[in-house]
Amino acid sequence: MQYIYSIVKADYLQRTRSYAFLITLAITIYVAYLFVPPVSASYTTLSATGFKSVYNSAWVGYISATMTAVMLSFSGFLLVNNSIKRDIDTEVGLIIAATPIANFSYLLAKQLSNFAVLCTIAVCTFAVSVLMFFLRGAGYPLVLAHFILPYLLFVLPAMFLVAALAVVAEVFLGKRSMLQFIIYFFLCGIVLSSLNTKSTAPPSGFFDPFGVSLVTGSIKNEINTRFHQHIDQVSFGFIFSKRKPFQLITWNGISWTALFIFSRLLWMSFAVALVYLSSFFFHRFDFKKAAGKKKKQPVVMPHDEGFAVIPAGISSAELPPVAFNYSIIPFIKTELLLIVRQGNKWWWLPSIGLSISMLFAPLPIASLYLLPALWFLQVTRLSELVTKEKTNRLHYFTYASYKPLQRMLPAQIIAGFLLAMALALPLVLRYAIVIDGLSIINLIIGALFMVSLAVCMGILSGGKKMFEVIFFLLTYTLLNRMPFADYPGSLPQHHNLVFTGVLSAIILALLLISFAARRYQARHL
Amino acid sequence: MALEIKGLTKQYNATKTGLSDYSITIDKGILGLLGPNGAGKSTLMKIIATISQPTRGTIFLDGVDIVSNPNFIRKVLGYLPQDFGVYPNLNAYEFLEYIAAMKGVGGKDLRRRIDMLLEGVNLTADAKKPIGTYSGGMKQRVGIAQALLNDPKVLIFDEPTVGLDPEERVRFRQLISEMADDCIIILSSHIVSDIETIADEVAIMQSGKLITKGYQHDIIEQARGRIFEVLLESSDVAAFKTCYKVIDTSRQKDRTRVRYISTDTANVAASRPVDAGLEDAYLLLTQHNA
Repeated sequence: MQYIYSIVKADYLQRTRSYAFLITLAITIYVAYLFVPPVSASYTTLSATGFKSVYNSAWVGYISATMTAVMLSFSGFLLVNNSIKRDIDTEVGLIIAATPIANFSYLLAKQLSNFAVLCTIAVCTFAVSVLMFFLRGAGYPLVLAHFILPYLLFVLPAMFLVAALAVVAEVFLGKRSMLQFIIYFFLCGIVLSSLNTKSTAPPSGFFDPFGVSLVTGSIKNEINTRFHQHIDQVSFGFIFSKRKPFQLITWNGISWTALFIFSRLLWMSFAVALVYLSSFFFHRFDFKKAAGKKKKQPVVMPHDEGFAVIPAGISSAELPPVAFNYSIIPFIKTELLLIVRQGNKWWWLPSIGLSISMLFAPLPIASLYLLPALWFLQVTRLSELVTKEKTNRLHYFTYASYKPLQRMLPAQIIAGFLLAMALALPLVLRYAIVIDGLSIINLIIGALFMVSLAVCMGILSGGKKMFEVIFFLLTYTLLNRMPFADYPGSLPQHHNLVFTGVLSAIILALLLISFAARRYQARHL
Repeated sequence: MALEIKGLTKQYNATKTGLSDYSITIDKGILGLLGPNGAGKSTLMKIIATISQPTRGTIFLDGVDIVSNPNFIRKVLGYLPQDFGVYPNLNAYEFLEYIAAMKGVGGKDLRRRIDMLLEGVNLTADAKKPIGTYSGGMKQRVGIAQALLNDPKVLIFDEPTVGLDPEERVRFRQLISEMADDCIIILSSHIVSDIETIADEVAIMQSGKLITKGYQHDIIEQARGRIFEVLLESSDVAAFKTCYKVIDTSRQKDRTRVRYISTDTANVAASRPVDAGLEDAYLLLTQHNA
């Protein structure tokens, strides 16, 4: 057990001792702040048609915990599903493979370190929720149990499961991160949609890893019983709607049942069982085994040409003269080549399919749903735009190249932009046909924003994760039609030049930060 | 052409110093950098390659300060870092084209130049295969080829022979020797024999400082009369090591031949002075300055 602890500790420290993690915590604090909106806000995080509770301890504590359980389950998976990959990249895995540690022990340690990282974030949202209770203070007494219990019984078991799923996904899907995301979000979507049952019986929690059905069921019952209503659905998430008058209720939390607590333990056991099962399929850093029967390109062995080849060498006098050409076109060409070759070539099929479908889908569907989904599918390509040199240890060359800031970085930005625009071309054509120039401009600005965000996050954090998580949250909130996330300017209220101007200013700021940070990095290796 | 380094200091933090008031003038030819781990060799090379900035000091190339004007040297620089990587999805040809773009090298002859460089490092047959499938030595050869793409006038090689087999090391030495007439080559290696064979001049560094710089002969001269050999009982070697700096040992049946450094031989019976080599001089000088 001692060595599992040591692995968990080392892994946890490795991940949390980074600027990227600090920025993640800062974003967490901001998002947790949004969980408890002021009365005058244009959004709510829990919607029970026409009803809203006063901001007592129960409401603030439970809503914050519920939102944390759901939102962190989505974004947390993205954040932690690289713990084995890191051991592959750093080649620490080869050392681990040669030690006596059992596959299960290693994977369990990875799950626990994932869990520790997610718990650290959850502790932040917990602290913010208590703070928000006082900030939004309505004079109700603070009942700490209303904060602690939902975090303990909703958030922690959910994070334990997410931590395990991240390990399982890495074991079975290896470096296919996009496939991992898609399968995981598909599963989460099924679970969340199944929670909106119309049953009036108190939920047991056996089919609800997040525990949210207990909260929504309790609120629904409270309203239906006390106000003789027939509400059959309580929604949670960031929900924007026109302000309507609502009736205040006083919701005092839920009554915990032994059955529910047992269901949490069962989910946690299920998580450990998943990790245990996956340990039978773990490659243990033997990639011939991981590749299975798949045809793999063999390592090229040097051609055996004997000593006779030695005198060949290079004669500098015989080399053709060097002609200098400082154009960035060759850079753009190679960046595009790297984008095209990134990942499995079959992954282009969904992108191309979505792109073509934008030609035929109704225009609002194409702009509000298909385009964000299509651009999100490029997340790993975009997140690698400016991070791949460091990941591949090529930054020594790029930083020492001639005018890297004026040539290299712009080429990467242009390549990312060309990718986004090429895929969005069908929608641009549709806008052109209906002579909607402003939408085309908004789309171009949106593509630039997406690329600038990828570049800025990549340069500041030095890795891909931060952009991937932020871009996921952005896409998720955009698909929920939240105005602040509408970077492609698809919502009708953003069909104006003010929006275009504001987004352009943000792009400019992102690019300025990117160039300044890269300038510093290029001289301080 | 000369590289003049004056008072170069790299302070990482209050306790860690990479280079300390380092001054040296490097002319055309091959300068071998020797020093133990942490001596500051890579730091010096990174600063010359403009990817790290000194805390203090100047570097002039042909009278131009490259600390404030890094693009001046970048145009004529060939740099092979110690721990470089490649894009595994590109083949050697595409990768060299990419690096050529970074260096601002183009034109109709680029293709032919790349072909010849690949031939020179014995990679022509594998040039169209993804670099991700290459062995360590083959990647190292790609690294050597990229350093030569822009007809460099300043070449920096940080541990260039790592991963190369003996045959490739011979080839590399020949290549370097040929280029030395026309440019400044700075080469660091832990393998003293590599430096001994290739370098015209040698600079020995320790703790961020320059201990000595000169022609190999002059440096070896400093060890003359201080290197000895003695045949000892194998059981006595451990005790001997506590008294003398042992350079090398070789077992001979039940006895051990010990090569060591000493200022005099009076206390060790049957010792005999031997000719010093660069490795002896290096160990003597770094021990003396430790």
